Amino acid sequence: MAAAAVAQISLSLNLPGQTQGMWAGSAGTARSLDADSQLVERCLGGDQGAWEQLVKIHGRRVYAICLRFTGKENEAQDLTQDVFLRVFKTLSSFRSGEGSFGVWLTRLTRNLLIDHYRRTKLERATDSIEEQLPVLEERTALHGRADGMLAGREASELLQAALQRLSPELREAVILRDLEELEYREIARVLGVPEGTVKSRLNRGRAELARVLRRYKVLV
Amino acid sequence: MICAEFEVILSDYVDGNVSVEMRRAIEQHADQCAACRELLRDVFHAVAFIERAEEVTPPPELITRIVYHAPQGRVRNEFESSGFLSRSFAKWLQPVLQPRFAMSMAMTILSFAMLGRCAGIQVKELKPADLNPVVLWNNLEGKGYRLWDRTVKYYENFRLVYEIETRLKEFRDEQDAARGSRNQTGNETKAMPQEDRERGTRK
Repeated sequence: MAAAAVAQISLSLNLPGQTQGMWAGSAGTARSLDADSQLVERCLGGDQGAWEQLVKIHGRRVYAICLRFTGKENEAQDLTQDVFLRVFKTLSSFRSGEGSFGVWLTRLTRNLLIDHYRRTKLERATDSIEEQLPVLEERTALHGRADGMLAGREASELLQAALQRLSPELREAVILRDLEELEYREIARVLGVPEGTVKSRLNRGRAELARVLRRYKVLV
Repeated sequence: MICAEFEVILSDYVDGNVSVEMRRAIEQHADQCAACRELLRDVFHAVAFIERAEEVTPPPELITRIVYHAPQGRVRNEFESSGFLSRSFAKWLQPVLQPRFAMSMAMTILSFAMLGRCAGIQVKELKPADLNPVVLWNNLEGKGYRLWDRTVKYYENFRLVYEIETRLKEFRDEQDAARGSRNQTGNETKAMPQEDRERGTRK
Protein backbone atom coordinates (compact mmCIF):
# COMPACT_ATOMS: atom_id res chain seq x y z
CA MET A 1 0.00 0.00 0.00
CA ALA A 2 2.85 2.36 0.91
CA ALA A 3 4.57 1.52 -2.36
CA ALA A 4 1.40 2.46 -4.14
CA ALA A 5 1.32 5.72 -2.23
CA VAL A 6 4.90 6.49 -3.21
CA ALA A 7 4.15 5.65 -6.81
CA GLN A 8 1.13 7.90 -6.59
CA ILE A 9 3.24 10.76 -5.27
CA SER A 10 5.81 10.38 -8.02
CA LEU A 11 3.12 9.93 -10.66
CA SER A 12 0.95 12.78 -9.44
CA LEU A 13 3.93 15.10 -9.39
CA ASN A 14 5.21 13.62 -12.63
CA LEU A 15 8.69 14.40 -11.41
CA PRO A 16 11.08 11.91 -12.98
CA GLY A 17 10.04 12.85 -16.49
CA GLN A 18 9.98 16.54 -15.72
CA THR A 19 13.27 16.66 -13.99
CA GLN A 20 14.98 14.78 -16.77
CA GLY A 21 13.91 17.52 -19.13
CA MET A 22 14.84 20.14 -16.59
CA TRP A 23 18.44 18.97 -16.24
CA ALA A 24 18.86 18.70 -19.99
CA GLY A 25 19.79 22.39 -19.89
CA SER A 26 23.14 21.42 -18.36
CA ALA A 27 24.17 19.82 -21.63
CA GLY A 28 24.56 23.34 -22.94
CA THR A 29 27.47 23.77 -20.54
CA ALA A 30 29.78 21.76 -22.77
CA ARG A 31 28.83 23.81 -25.80
CA SER A 32 29.37 27.10 -24.01
CA LEU A 33 32.70 25.90 -22.59
CA ASP A 34 34.70 26.98 -25.61
CA ALA A 35 32.74 30.19 -26.00
CA ASP A 36 33.50 31.10 -22.38
CA SER A 37 37.19 30.29 -22.77
CA GLN A 38 37.36 32.49 -25.84
CA LEU A 39 35.62 35.30 -24.01
CA VAL A 40 38.09 34.97 -21.14
CA GLU A 41 41.00 35.09 -23.60
CA ARG A 42 39.58 38.23 -25.17
CA CYS A 43 39.00 39.78 -21.74
CA LEU A 44 42.63 39.14 -20.83
CA GLY A 45 43.55 40.88 -24.08
CA GLY A 46 41.71 43.98 -22.85
CA ASP A 47 38.51 43.60 -24.87
CA GLN A 48 35.74 45.54 -23.05
CA GLY A 49 33.03 43.98 -25.23
CA ALA A 50 34.09 40.47 -24.18
CA TRP A 51 33.93 41.47 -20.51
CA GLU A 52 30.44 42.87 -21.03
CA GLN A 53 29.31 39.63 -22.66
CA LEU A 54 30.84 37.55 -19.89
CA VAL A 55 29.05 39.58 -17.20
CA LYS A 56 25.74 39.45 -19.07
CA ILE A 57 25.96 35.68 -19.58
CA HIS A 58 26.95 34.78 -16.02
CA GLY A 59 25.60 37.72 -14.01
CA ARG A 60 22.15 36.20 -13.59
CA ARG A 61 23.48 32.95 -12.13
CA VAL A 62 25.86 34.68 -9.71
CA TYR A 63 23.14 37.07 -8.55
CA ALA A 64 20.61 34.24 -8.21
CA ILE A 65 22.99 32.13 -6.10
CA CYS A 66 23.82 35.12 -3.90
CA LEU A 67 20.15 36.06 -3.46
CA ARG A 68 19.02 32.54 -2.68
CA PHE A 69 21.89 32.06 -0.24
CA THR A 70 21.62 35.37 1.63
CA GLY A 71 17.89 36.00 1.18
CA LYS A 72 18.49 39.76 0.92
CA GLU A 73 18.52 41.75 -2.30
CA ASN A 74 20.99 44.45 -1.24
CA GLU A 75 23.44 41.88 0.12
CA ALA A 76 23.08 39.82 -3.05
CA GLN A 77 23.83 42.88 -5.20
CA ASP A 78 26.92 43.78 -3.16
CA LEU A 79 28.15 40.21 -3.25
CA THR A 80 27.57 39.92 -7.00
CA GLN A 81 29.69 43.02 -7.47
CA ASP A 82 32.38 41.59 -5.21
CA VAL A 83 32.36 38.34 -7.17
CA PHE A 84 32.86 40.09 -10.51
CA LEU A 85 35.49 42.40 -9.07
CA ARG A 86 37.39 39.33 -7.95
CA VAL A 87 36.76 37.65 -11.30
CA PHE A 88 38.25 40.63 -13.07
CA LYS A 89 41.30 40.63 -10.82
CA THR A 90 41.93 36.88 -10.94
CA LEU A 91 40.79 36.10 -14.47
CA SER A 92 44.34 35.21 -15.45
CA SER A 93 44.31 32.36 -12.88
CA PHE A 94 41.49 30.60 -14.77
CA ARG A 95 42.78 27.69 -16.85
CA SER A 96 40.32 26.36 -19.40
CA GLY A 97 41.89 22.89 -19.18
CA GLU A 98 41.01 22.59 -15.48
CA GLY A 99 37.23 22.85 -15.98
CA SER A 100 34.52 25.13 -17.28
CA PHE A 101 34.44 28.83 -16.57
CA GLY A 102 30.98 28.35 -15.06
CA VAL A 103 32.29 25.95 -12.42
CA TRP A 104 35.28 28.22 -11.69
CA LEU A 105 32.95 31.21 -11.29
CA THR A 106 30.47 29.26 -9.15
CA ARG A 107 33.29 28.06 -6.90
CA LEU A 108 34.50 31.63 -6.50
CA THR A 109 30.95 32.79 -5.73
CA ARG A 110 30.44 30.01 -3.22
CA ASN A 111 33.72 30.79 -1.43
CA LEU A 112 32.77 34.46 -1.16
CA LEU A 113 29.34 33.52 0.15
CA ILE A 114 30.81 31.25 2.80
CA ASP A 115 33.23 34.02 3.84
CA HIS A 116 30.32 36.42 4.02
CA TYR A 117 28.26 33.90 5.99
CA ARG A 118 31.01 33.54 8.60
CA ARG A 119 31.61 37.28 8.76
CA THR A 120 27.94 38.13 9.34
CA LYS A 121 27.14 35.31 11.73
CA LEU A 122 26.80 37.67 14.68
CA GLU A 123 24.44 40.04 12.88
CA ARG A 124 22.22 37.20 11.80
CA ALA A 125 21.89 35.98 15.38
CA THR A 126 19.73 39.04 16.08
CA ASP A 127 18.18 39.49 12.65
CA SER A 128 16.60 36.06 12.72
CA ILE A 129 14.26 34.67 10.12
CA GLU A 130 11.95 33.82 13.02
CA GLU A 131 10.81 37.43 12.82
CA GLN A 132 9.63 36.83 9.27
CA LEU A 133 7.79 33.64 10.09
CA PRO A 134 4.56 35.20 11.43
CA VAL A 135 4.49 37.58 8.43
CA LEU A 136 4.87 34.71 6.00
CA GLU A 137 2.25 32.65 7.75
CA GLU A 138 -0.10 35.60 7.71
CA ARG A 139 0.55 36.12 4.03
CA THR A 140 -0.17 32.52 3.11
CA ALA A 141 -3.28 32.58 5.28
CA LEU A 142 -4.47 35.80 3.62
CA HIS A 143 -4.02 34.42 0.17
CA GLY A 144 -5.68 31.20 1.21
CA ARG A 145 -3.17 29.18 -0.81
CA ALA A 146 -1.90 26.85 1.87
CA ASP A 147 -2.97 24.00 -0.35
CA GLY A 148 0.40 23.69 -2.05
CA MET A 149 -0.58 25.67 -5.12
CA LEU A 150 1.45 28.77 -4.32
CA ALA A 151 3.46 29.78 -7.38
CA GLY A 152 5.50 32.49 -9.11
CA ARG A 153 6.77 35.42 -7.10
CA GLU A 154 5.07 34.40 -3.85
CA ALA A 155 6.55 30.94 -4.06
CA SER A 156 9.94 32.47 -4.80
CA GLU A 157 9.78 34.71 -1.73
CA LEU A 158 8.71 31.87 0.51
CA LEU A 159 11.39 29.63 -0.90
CA GLN A 160 13.97 32.30 -0.21
CA ALA A 161 12.84 32.64 3.40
CA ALA A 162 12.67 28.87 3.85
CA LEU A 163 16.19 28.39 2.43
CA GLN A 164 17.56 30.64 5.16
CA ARG A 165 16.45 28.05 7.71
CA LEU A 166 18.80 25.47 6.23
CA SER A 167 22.41 25.03 7.26
CA PRO A 168 24.83 26.54 4.69
CA GLU A 169 25.97 23.07 3.53
CA LEU A 170 22.45 21.89 2.75
CA ARG A 171 21.41 25.28 1.38
CA GLU A 172 24.22 25.50 -1.16
CA ALA A 173 23.55 21.95 -2.36
CA VAL A 174 19.86 22.70 -2.96
CA ILE A 175 20.60 26.04 -4.64
CA LEU A 176 23.23 24.63 -6.99
CA ARG A 177 21.23 21.57 -7.99
CA ASP A 178 17.56 22.50 -7.85
CA LEU A 179 17.76 26.18 -8.68
CA GLU A 180 20.90 26.53 -10.78
CA GLU A 181 20.68 23.06 -12.31
CA LEU A 182 24.34 22.12 -12.09
CA GLU A 183 25.47 18.53 -12.66
CA TYR A 184 26.44 16.48 -9.59
CA ARG A 185 30.07 16.34 -10.67
CA GLU A 186 30.08 20.11 -11.17
CA ILE A 187 28.63 20.67 -7.69
CA ALA A 188 31.21 18.24 -6.29
CA ARG A 189 33.98 20.35 -7.88
CA VAL A 190 32.47 23.60 -6.65
CA LEU A 191 32.10 22.36 -3.08
CA GLY A 192 35.23 20.21 -3.07
CA VAL A 193 33.39 17.10 -1.80
CA PRO A 194 32.62 13.70 -3.37
CA GLU A 195 29.48 13.25 -5.46
CA GLY A 196 27.99 10.91 -2.84
CA THR A 197 28.22 13.66 -0.25
CA VAL A 198 26.57 16.10 -2.66
CA LYS A 199 23.65 13.71 -3.18
CA SER A 200 23.29 13.02 0.51
CA ARG A 201 23.33 16.76 1.37
CA LEU A 202 20.88 17.44 -1.43
CA ASN A 203 18.34 14.95 -0.10
CA ARG A 204 18.69 16.15 3.45
CA GLY A 205 18.40 19.74 2.22
CA ARG A 206 15.25 19.03 0.22
CA ALA A 207 13.66 17.13 3.12
CA GLU A 208 14.53 19.94 5.53
CA LEU A 209 13.12 22.48 3.09
CA ALA A 210 9.85 20.54 2.87
CA ARG A 211 9.63 20.48 6.66
CA VAL A 212 10.19 24.26 6.84
CA LEU A 213 7.60 24.86 4.11
CA ARG A 214 5.17 22.72 6.06
CA ARG A 215 5.78 24.92 9.07
CA TYR A 216 4.93 27.91 6.87
CA LYS A 217 1.72 26.01 6.07
CA VAL A 218 2.64 26.04 2.39
CA LEU A 219 2.94 22.29 2.10
CA VAL A 220 0.48 19.83 3.54
CA MET B 1 18.74 -2.16 0.20
CA ILE B 2 19.66 -0.31 3.38
CA CYS B 3 18.66 3.26 4.32
CA ALA B 4 22.13 4.72 3.52
CA GLU B 5 22.01 3.27 -0.02
CA PHE B 6 18.47 4.53 -0.40
CA GLU B 7 19.58 8.06 0.54
CA VAL B 8 22.40 8.08 -2.03
CA ILE B 9 20.31 6.65 -4.89
CA LEU B 10 17.31 8.85 -4.07
CA SER B 11 18.67 11.85 -6.04
CA ASP B 12 18.99 9.73 -9.18
CA TYR B 13 15.51 8.35 -8.57
CA VAL B 14 14.13 11.90 -8.41
CA ASP B 15 15.99 12.73 -11.63
CA GLY B 16 14.60 9.58 -13.25
CA ASN B 17 18.09 8.23 -13.88
CA VAL B 18 17.61 4.73 -12.42
CA SER B 19 17.00 1.38 -14.00
CA VAL B 20 13.66 -0.40 -13.67
CA GLU B 21 15.14 -2.84 -11.13
CA MET B 22 16.58 -0.07 -9.03
CA ARG B 23 13.31 1.83 -9.17
CA ARG B 24 11.51 -1.26 -7.93
CA ALA B 25 14.07 -1.76 -5.14
CA ILE B 26 13.67 1.85 -4.00
CA GLU B 27 9.91 1.61 -3.93
CA GLN B 28 10.12 -1.69 -2.09
CA HIS B 29 12.42 -0.16 0.53
CA ALA B 30 10.14 2.86 0.93
CA ASP B 31 7.28 0.46 1.42
CA GLN B 32 9.05 -1.19 4.34
CA CYS B 33 10.80 1.81 5.96
CA ALA B 34 8.62 4.63 7.31
CA ALA B 35 11.53 7.08 7.70
CA CYS B 36 12.68 6.62 4.10
CA ARG B 37 9.10 6.86 2.87
CA GLU B 38 8.79 10.23 4.61
CA LEU B 39 12.12 11.34 3.19
CA LEU B 40 10.97 10.40 -0.32
CA ARG B 41 7.72 12.31 0.10
CA ASP B 42 9.49 15.41 1.48
CA VAL B 43 12.06 15.39 -1.31
CA PHE B 44 9.36 15.23 -3.99
CA HIS B 45 7.35 17.97 -2.36
CA ALA B 46 10.39 20.25 -2.04
CA VAL B 47 11.44 19.72 -5.67
CA ALA B 48 7.88 20.38 -6.85
CA PHE B 49 7.70 23.59 -4.83
CA ILE B 50 11.08 24.83 -6.09
CA GLU B 51 9.89 24.29 -9.67
CA ARG B 52 6.93 26.56 -9.06
CA ALA B 53 9.10 29.41 -7.78
CA GLU B 54 9.78 32.31 -10.11
CA GLU B 55 13.27 32.60 -11.55
CA VAL B 56 15.47 35.33 -10.15
CA THR B 57 16.61 38.14 -12.44
CA PRO B 58 19.21 40.70 -11.42
CA PRO B 59 18.34 44.41 -11.73
CA PRO B 60 19.64 45.71 -15.10
CA GLU B 61 21.52 48.57 -13.42
CA LEU B 62 23.54 46.04 -11.42
CA ILE B 63 24.85 44.41 -14.59
CA THR B 64 25.62 47.83 -16.11
CA ARG B 65 27.46 48.88 -12.96
CA ILE B 66 29.55 45.73 -12.96
CA VAL B 67 30.33 45.97 -16.68
CA TYR B 68 31.59 49.55 -16.51
CA HIS B 69 33.04 49.84 -13.04
CA ALA B 70 34.69 46.47 -12.32
CA PRO B 71 37.57 47.16 -14.76
CA GLN B 72 38.30 50.30 -12.75
CA GLY B 73 38.12 48.37 -9.50
CA ARG B 74 35.26 50.41 -8.01
CA VAL B 75 31.90 48.74 -7.86
CA ARG B 76 30.98 49.06 -4.24
CA ASN B 77 28.09 51.27 -3.19
CA GLU B 78 28.40 55.01 -2.62
CA PHE B 79 28.92 54.95 1.14
CA GLU B 80 31.80 52.52 1.07
CA SER B 81 33.51 54.14 -1.87
CA SER B 82 33.33 57.66 -0.42
CA GLY B 83 36.61 58.77 1.07
CA PHE B 84 38.85 57.51 3.79
CA LEU B 85 37.07 59.44 6.58
CA SER B 86 33.63 57.99 5.83
CA ARG B 87 35.14 54.53 5.54
CA SER B 88 36.90 54.70 8.87
CA PHE B 89 33.83 56.33 10.45
CA ALA B 90 31.63 53.52 9.09
CA LYS B 91 34.15 50.95 10.33
CA TRP B 92 33.96 52.32 13.86
CA LEU B 93 30.21 52.79 13.84
CA GLN B 94 29.38 49.42 12.28
CA PRO B 95 29.60 47.38 15.52
CA VAL B 96 27.31 49.88 17.27
CA LEU B 97 24.74 50.39 14.52
CA GLN B 98 22.93 47.13 15.09
CA PRO B 99 19.30 46.49 15.92
CA ARG B 100 20.17 44.90 19.26
CA PHE B 101 21.74 48.16 20.45
CA ALA B 102 18.65 50.18 19.52
CA MET B 103 17.19 50.02 23.02
CA SER B 104 20.52 50.87 24.68
CA MET B 105 20.92 53.81 22.35
CA ALA B 106 17.40 55.02 23.06
CA MET B 107 18.08 54.79 26.81
CA THR B 108 21.36 56.70 26.42
CA ILE B 109 19.63 59.47 24.51
CA LEU B 110 16.87 59.58 27.11
CA SER B 111 19.41 59.74 29.95
CA PHE B 112 21.28 62.58 28.26
CA ALA B 113 18.00 64.39 27.63
CA MET B 114 17.09 64.10 31.32
CA LEU B 115 20.56 65.23 32.37
CA GLY B 116 20.29 68.16 30.00
CA ARG B 117 16.92 69.07 31.48
CA CYS B 118 18.34 68.94 34.99
CA ALA B 119 21.29 71.06 33.89
CA GLY B 120 18.85 73.64 32.60
CA ILE B 121 19.45 73.23 28.88
CA GLN B 122 16.28 74.31 27.12
CA VAL B 123 15.22 72.18 24.20
CA LYS B 124 13.04 74.36 22.06
CA GLU B 125 11.30 73.31 18.89
CA LEU B 126 13.50 73.55 15.83
CA LYS B 127 12.45 76.05 13.17
CA PRO B 128 13.76 76.17 9.58
CA ALA B 129 15.45 79.47 10.40
CA ASP B 130 17.47 77.72 13.11
CA LEU B 131 19.04 75.48 10.51
CA ASN B 132 20.75 78.41 8.78
CA PRO B 133 24.48 77.64 8.98
CA VAL B 134 25.30 81.25 9.98
CA VAL B 135 22.79 81.20 12.83
CA LEU B 136 24.00 77.77 13.87
CA TRP B 137 27.62 78.90 13.85
CA ASN B 138 26.84 82.11 15.76
CA ASN B 139 24.89 80.18 18.36
CA LEU B 140 27.65 77.65 18.67
CA GLU B 141 30.30 80.37 18.90
CA GLY B 142 28.33 82.26 21.56
CA LYS B 143 27.75 79.08 23.50
CA GLY B 144 31.42 78.20 23.17
CA TYR B 145 32.55 81.57 24.55
CA ARG B 146 30.04 81.47 27.38
CA LEU B 147 31.08 77.94 28.27
CA TRP B 148 34.76 78.95 28.23
CA ASP B 149 34.11 82.01 30.43
CA ARG B 150 32.06 79.95 32.84
CA THR B 151 34.78 77.32 33.01
CA VAL B 152 37.46 79.92 33.65
CA LYS B 153 35.36 81.57 36.37
CA TYR B 154 34.56 78.24 37.95
CA TYR B 155 38.24 77.33 37.94
CA GLU B 156 39.29 80.62 39.43
CA ASN B 157 36.59 80.50 42.12
CA PHE B 158 37.45 76.98 43.10
CA ARG B 159 38.49 76.94 46.80
CA LEU B 160 41.63 74.84 46.40
CA VAL B 161 42.77 76.87 43.41
CA TYR B 162 42.02 80.06 45.32
CA GLU B 163 44.05 78.87 48.32
CA ILE B 164 46.96 77.75 46.17
CA GLU B 165 46.87 81.01 44.26
CA THR B 166 46.76 82.96 47.56
CA ARG B 167 49.71 81.00 48.91
CA LEU B 168 51.60 81.53 45.70
CA LYS B 169 50.83 85.22 45.84
CA GLU B 170 51.98 85.38 49.46
CA PHE B 171 55.10 83.48 48.61
CA ARG B 172 55.75 85.78 45.67
CA ASP B 173 55.15 88.83 47.85
CA GLU B 174 57.50 87.45 50.50
CA GLN B 175 60.12 86.85 47.84
CA ASP B 176 59.63 90.35 46.48
CA ALA B 177 59.82 91.76 49.99
CA ALA B 178 62.99 89.75 50.69
CA ARG B 179 64.50 90.84 47.43
CA GLY B 180 63.47 94.43 48.18
CA SER B 181 65.09 94.38 51.62
CA ARG B 182 68.24 92.76 50.18
CA ASN B 183 68.42 95.47 47.60
CA GLN B 184 67.95 98.05 50.28
CA THR B 185 70.83 96.67 52.40
CA GLY B 186 72.94 96.36 49.26
CA ASN B 187 72.27 99.95 48.48
CA GLU B 188 73.21 100.89 52.00
CA THR B 189 76.55 99.04 51.75
CA LYS B 190 77.13 100.50 48.37
CA ALA B 191 76.25 103.93 49.70
CA MET B 192 78.82 103.72 52.54
CA PRO B 193 82.04 104.24 50.58
CA GLN B 194 80.35 107.04 48.75
CA GLU B 195 79.60 108.71 52.09
CA ASP B 196 83.21 108.03 53.20
CA ARG B 197 84.42 109.45 49.98
CA GLU B 198 82.24 112.47 50.53
CA ARG B 199 83.58 112.73 54.08
CA GLY B 200 87.17 112.43 52.75
CA THR B 201 86.66 115.17 50.25
CA ARG B 202 85.11 117.27 52.95
CA LYS B 203 88.16 116.56 55.09
